[in-house]
Amino acid sequence: MDEPMVDAPGQQVKVTFTTTETDLQLPETKRQLLVPADIRRYGLSRILNSESMLDTGSIPFDFLINGSFLRTSLQDYLVANGLSLETNLTLQYVRSLIPPVYEASF
Amino acid sequence: ATHLTENGEQEKPLRDYSEALEMWSNFQAKTQSLSQSLSSQLRLILTPTQSTKLSGAFRTGKRLNIKKIIPYIASSYKRDKIWMRRAVPSKRSYQILLCVDDSSSMADNESHASASSSSSSSGRLALESLVMVSRALASLEAGQVGVLGFGTDVFVAHSLTDPPFASSSHDAGARVLQRFTFRQDGTDMVRLLRATIDHFRDARLTQAATSSGQDLWQLALILSDGLVQSRDHARLRPLLREAMEQRVMVVFIVMDDAKGKGKGHSVLELKEARFGPDGVPVIHRYLDTFPFPYYLIVHHLEDLPGALAALLRTWFAEVNS
Ligand SMILES: [Mg+2]
Repeated sequence: MDEPMVDAPGQQVKVTFTTTETDLQLPETKRQLLVPADIRRYGLSRILNSESMLDTGSIPFDFLINGSFLRTSLQDYLVANGLSLETNLTLQYVRSLIPPVYEASF
Repeated sequence: ATHLTENGEQEKPLRDYSEALEMWSNFQAKTQSLSQSLSSQLRLILTPTQSTKLSGAFRTGKRLNIKKIIPYIASSYKRDKIWMRRAVPSKRSYQILLCVDDSSSMADNESHASASSSSSSSGRLALESLVMVSRALASLEAGQVGVLGFGTDVFVAHSLTDPPFASSSHDAGARVLQRFTFRQDGTDMVRLLRATIDHFRDARLTQAATSSGQDLWQLALILSDGLVQSRDHARLRPLLREAMEQRVMVVFIVMDDAKGKGKGHSVLELKEARFGPDGVPVIHRYLDTFPFPYYLIVHHLEDLPGALAALLRTWFAEVNS
């Protein structure tokens, strides 16, 4: 088989996860990850909660980049800050204080 | 300094000449013994060895060609070219393109911590490797060496027909290092492979016009952090097949700087997340879809000569078998 994955992915960006929550630390080998560039908070939460990551079920997470909460897609964040897909974004995850809002897309 | 090319295009800013000159001399001094080690290993590979294969049909020779015996008898011993001889190995020459990733992922761009210490990055490791390998090749004096840079586009930093990098003058080397600033905001590997194959096709024609009877060996060494958009992996496969058909060997050298990065930051550990049709995230190892059949992961510069020589030896054994 030439291509093991069926769906051709869209653009990706490399992120590094960090947290100060002592009970929610990722092992060092899982902290860097390529994610779809159009991902938002909800999609990132799903990834962190997944079995191969924290395996925590459905904790809603918020993400901080350089001290401010991510409220757009990563792609939009990069564009707004004049950054390219070559950038390695550090995402600090925290338990969300806002009750989980159903977002139209993730 | 902003330069205008002949076509009037605006060119990217260059690294300061005196800084580049100092870098080249420092890297050359630092990597001298590694360079010598690589060149002596490559000399063994490039030197034509006595061919062990017996072939052909001659009146005298070393061993009988069994297939010719029946026709020999049937022709009443007239068709008497029944002997095989040892083939004379042809002289080998090479054309090597060193393709250096100039994209900004090669610099320290961890988020936007702007104070980048260029002392520890894939970019620095790539430039040290470039100096080490090009010096090793120059001392072999058996072929041509060129340097390409790539990011969102591809540029020629040193043409195959330019004079080789001398040990005494660092000017040519410094001019190459000036071109690499690691500020391109994309890594277009598809464009690089296309340019490499085309470049080698032209170079082969030029070479064929000037010399004959030589076994021309064309090799592209890609020095990069290995970060390519995964969706390009599938688009690279047909190009890699085309390179193979053209007898161009492509070796991907992944610059995975161990000093600059903490544990768990190696490309070997890198994973990627995709969402299935059901919206469930699936996590794979990034290198699982990496399309290059020949790749090396270099954590320390000292690993490179041995690893590269071993890979090239294996490849030679494969193509000559
Ligand atoms: Mg890159």
